[in-house]
Amino acid sequence: MNFLVRNSNLRSFIGAGYPIKYIQGICNTSTSSSTTDPDAPDFDMENPFEKEKQQCVLCKHNIEVDYKNVRLLSQFQSPYTGRIYSRNITGLCKRQQQLVEREIKKAQVAALMPTYFKQPSYLKDPQLFDIEKPLRPHRF
Amino acid sequence: MITYELMLLLRTMPKPELHGVLKRIATAIFDKGGVIRKLDNLGHKDMPYKTSSHGVVYNKASYFLYEFTVPPSSIDTLLDEYGRDVDIIRRRIYKKNEENKFKCTLDEELQPPPYRKEVQEMIAKARRLDKPKFSYNNGMDYYPFQK
Ligand SMILES: [Zn+2]
Repeated sequence: MNFLVRNSNLRSFIGAGYPIKYIQGICNTSTSSSTTDPDAPDFDMENPFEKEKQQCVLCKHNIEVDYKNVRLLSQFQSPYTGRIYSRNITGLCKRQQQLVEREIKKAQVAALMPTYFKQPSYLKDPQLFDIEKPLRPHRF
Repeated sequence: MITYELMLLLRTMPKPELHGVLKRIATAIFDKGGVIRKLDNLGHKDMPYKTSSHGVVYNKASYFLYEFTVPPSSIDTLLDEYGRDVDIIRRRIYKKNEENKFKCTLDEELQPPPYRKEVQEMIAKARRLDKPKFSYNNGMDYYPFQK
């Protein structure tokens, strides 16, 4: 009983400003190594401040890229010139960008998708990325 | 067993005629010892660019998709056969996409250059080209080369 009280005190004492993971880590150590020193910090715990891993749009939503899905592919195409946007603009991972480029080219030679412009009916589709803010600067 | 996809663009024609053409295309696959798995009608619509084939310019086409399995050696003959068909404007045969499983590497790619594995490998590769350098702390108390 006493132990429980102490544990909750600790939680409230550390309080806001720290990630929940960190607080849990501290509380866990006090339960596991209670035989020796309950307040000894656990130095082997994983970095509690580590950020979540970033994922690209297609990987995050687990979308299969296919050449018949012209509406999806045309979102990676410039409305002015029909050019396929590069990786620093689309924000896709290497593999997905490769797939998107391959499928767009397949769709274009099969006359499913225009090459020098974006299909006018898809012009008002929502933007997946900001063209004006590339991840890395480019020469265009 | 490889499954192929045949993307077909047919010229505008009345239904009974279209029926005959689709049947002709299917029998060509069956003649090669193939199996048709799926036949989709993707509709009659404007093409994104005009196409001329067999001396006629087309702006509209009816799109069809065949999914089939044939021996890979007969793909060329099939394409050749369809190329000579006057009712077909355009035909492409692609392998059907397999479900690809891979992990997203975006997080590693967004690291600053010295933390990227790719860059580290590149630097290590360049270091291999460096000229060998004499190190002074090798136990010899004199310099063996001319100064
Ligand atoms: Zn990804």
